[in-house]
Amino acid sequence: MMSSYSELIKNFEKIRAYMRDFYVYGFKSRDDFKSKSARSYDDERRRIESWLGDNMSFVRTPEGKNVFISIDSRTIRHNPLYKAWKAKSFTDGDITLHFIIFDILHDPAVKRTVSELLAEIDEKYLSDFESPMMFDESTVRKKLREYCEAGIIVAEKEGRKAYYRRADSTDISDLNDVLHYFSEVAPCGVIGSFILDKEESDTDSFTFKHHYITCAIDSGVLAALFTAMREKRAVTISNMSRLKDLPRLNRIVPLRVFISVQSGRQHLLAYLPEYNSFHSYRVDYLSNVKLEEPTPRFDELRAELDRMQGKMWGVSVKRNKWGVDHLEHVEFTVKVKDNEEYIVGRLEREKRVGTVEKLDDNTYRFSADVYDSSEMIPWIRTFICRIVKMNFSNRSVGNRFKKDLEVMYRMYNVEEVSE
Amino acid sequence: MIFRELYSAYYNTVAAIISSIIDGEHSEKELQKIVADRAFGESVLVILPSLKTEKWQLVHPDMTTSLEHKPTMPLTTLQKQWLKAISLDPRVKLFGVKFPDLEEAEPLFTSADYHVCDKYGDGDPFEDEEYIRHFRIILEAIRKGSQIKFEMVNRKGNMMFVRCRPVRLEYSEKDDKFRVITAGCRAVSTVNLANIRFCAHYTGERQSVGEEKAVIYDTVTVKIRDERNAMERFMLHFAHFEKQAEKLDRKNYFVKIKYAHDDESEMVIRILSFGPMVEVTGSESFKKLIIEKLKEQLNYGLK
Repeated sequence: MMSSYSELIKNFEKIRAYMRDFYVYGFKSRDDFKSKSARSYDDERRRIESWLGDNMSFVRTPEGKNVFISIDSRTIRHNPLYKAWKAKSFTDGDITLHFIIFDILHDPAVKRTVSELLAEIDEKYLSDFESPMMFDESTVRKKLREYCEAGIIVAEKEGRKAYYRRADSTDISDLNDVLHYFSEVAPCGVIGSFILDKEESDTDSFTFKHHYITCAIDSGVLAALFTAMREKRAVTISNMSRLKDLPRLNRIVPLRVFISVQSGRQHLLAYLPEYNSFHSYRVDYLSNVKLEEPTPRFDELRAELDRMQGKMWGVSVKRNKWGVDHLEHVEFTVKVKDNEEYIVGRLEREKRVGTVEKLDDNTYRFSADVYDSSEMIPWIRTFICRIVKMNFSNRSVGNRFKKDLEVMYRMYNVEEVSE
Repeated sequence: MIFRELYSAYYNTVAAIISSIIDGEHSEKELQKIVADRAFGESVLVILPSLKTEKWQLVHPDMTTSLEHKPTMPLTTLQKQWLKAISLDPRVKLFGVKFPDLEEAEPLFTSADYHVCDKYGDGDPFEDEEYIRHFRIILEAIRKGSQIKFEMVNRKGNMMFVRCRPVRLEYSEKDDKFRVITAGCRAVSTVNLANIRFCAHYTGERQSVGEEKAVIYDTVTVKIRDERNAMERFMLHFAHFEKQAEKLDRKNYFVKIKYAHDDESEMVIRILSFGPMVEVTGSESFKKLIIEKLKEQLNYGLK
C-alpha cells in the first residue's frame, strides 16, 4: 500500500509544537510525545529531518532515540527554521494552474477574461498531455480571486467584462543586502526570506550573534497580531497555559509585542476588556488568532501602555482593577574596582527604566520603581561578586534573592574567608 | 496569511526547473540537481517524478515545456507590507538604497507595534553620517573581497592603524551593534564598527594574507533543577547555542553547551543569572570562575 506521507503539510500549527520541542528542548524521546499518536510523531519527525537535514541530530538513551535540532545560530546566515513555512501542501491542479496562469499573464500589459484564460489553458497548455487536466470556470475564477486577494493578480472591469492581469512588478534589485539583514533581525523576517527565494543568490555579508531563531515558528501568529493592531481590532485567541492542559479562549485587544533579545521570548501586551486589565501573553503559547471588530479605545489603551512602560522591567504589569499602579522599589549597590569601569558601563547600558548613581569613585547605586521586582532578579544576579547592599520594598523578593545566594554557596561549597 | 503555497520551496523549485528547461537544459541529472539545491531532503522523490508523469502538467515526458516565459511572480501584498515596514526602520539608512514604490501598501508593523525590551542602551549610532559611511565602505569591501584601512583606539587606549580584509559583518541584537570580522590582520580579528575612525578603501599594493581567525570553542555542562520553570527558561535562553540535553529524572536535566571561548565571561554571568536552579558541573575551570564570584560575594556579605 502506498504511504500517504508527504514532506509538505496543510496545517502549520500541527508542526509548530514539534519544531519547538526538537529545537528548544532536545531531550524528549518518542514516548514523551504521548499526547500525539506514534504515527504522527514519526511523520512529523521525518518531515523536520527532511527540511533541516544536517541540523538534526539524535542520541540514544535508555528511554529511546532522542531527536533534536542543534544549531549555533552564530554560524549560519539564514534561519533554517524558515523552511517549515515553505512546506505548504497543494493540489496537482493548484501548481499546474499557477504556472500556466502566470505564463499567459506574463506581463502586466496582458489581460484576459476568465473564459479566454480557460480556453488558452486547455488548447495551448494542456492538450498535448496524454490525459489533460480539466479545469472548470469556477476553479479558475476561485484561483484568480485568491490571487487578487494575495495582490499578485489585478481584476479590472471594462464595460461588463472583468479582465485579469498580473500585478505590476516591484524593482527590488537594490535590496539584496537589506533583505539578507532584515530577514534575520526584523519581526516576521520569514517574509523577507520569501522574497530572497525568488531572487538570484548574491553575496551575503551578514552573520548574527545572540540570535534567537525560535521565534520564526511564531511568525504566523505575530503577523496576524500586527494586522489586528494596524486595524485597531480586538482578537479572539487561544492561549495555551503551561499550567493547564487545554488552551483557553480569550478576547483581547492586542497593543504591542515585547521582544526579548536576551531570553528568546516574545510577549504580547494586551488589554482584557472583560477584566479591565492589561496582561502579557507568551506569543509561542498563542494560536488561532481571529480578528474581531475594531475597537474605538485602541489609541487610548496604547497611550496608557506607553505610560506604563516606564515602570516595566520586563513584561509584567501589576495594577488593581481600578487601574491603580502597584509599584515596587528596588535598589542595590555595587563595588567597582579601579580597573573595572566596564561594570559602570554595564550598569548604564543595562539599566532600562532604572537610574544609576555614583556614590564614590568605587561605589555605584542602581535604583528603580517597577511593577514587578522579581523580574529583575536574574539581571541582579549577574552582578554577584560585587553587591554590597540591596533593598527591595517587596521583602519576599529580597529574601528569596538572599536565600538563593545561600543555596549557591552551599552548592559550590563556598565558605567565608576571614581577612 | 504567511503559510501558503505561493512561498513554498516546491513552487520555487519548479519555477527554477522550468527556467532551466526554457534555457535549453533537458538533462534529468541537471534538473534533479536544482531540486537537491532548492528543495528538501526527500523532494527528489516527488518533484521531477510529478513533472515527468504528467501529475503536474507543466513539463512533457521528454523534458520540454509548453510554457514560454521563465516563471516570475509579482510581490504579494504581504511582502510589500513587510518591505514597507522595513523601509521605516532607521537602520535601513545604512544601506543607502532607494526603496521601490510600494504603492498603497500599509506597513505590516511600525515601531509602535513592537518594543525590544532588553537590548542594551548603548547601541550603534545607525543614523550618524560617519558611521554610515564606514558601514558602506566595509560592506562594499566584503562584497569585492578587497581591503580597507582605518584607525581605532584599542582596549588599552592606544591608537592603532589597521589594514585588513573585512569578511563579514556580525550583528548582535542584544548589543545592537555591528562587529567587523576581518582576515589578514594579526592584531585585530574583530572590531566594533562604532570604534572605527577614518575608514577608507585600501588601494596600495600590500596584500592581506590569511583567513578569518578560527573560533576556539569550549563546553560547559550544567545540571538544571526544574523549579520556577527554570528548565524552559534556561533552554530558551541558551537556544541559540549548539547544545545537547538529557533528562535525568522528573526534576533534573543535564545540558552541555558549546560556546566560543572569547565569550566565557558573558557565559559565566548568564549562567549565574539562573541562581541555584542551575549548577555548573564542568569544566572545572568554568566552575572555578563561578566559585570565585561567589567567594567574593560572600566576603562582601549583604546588609
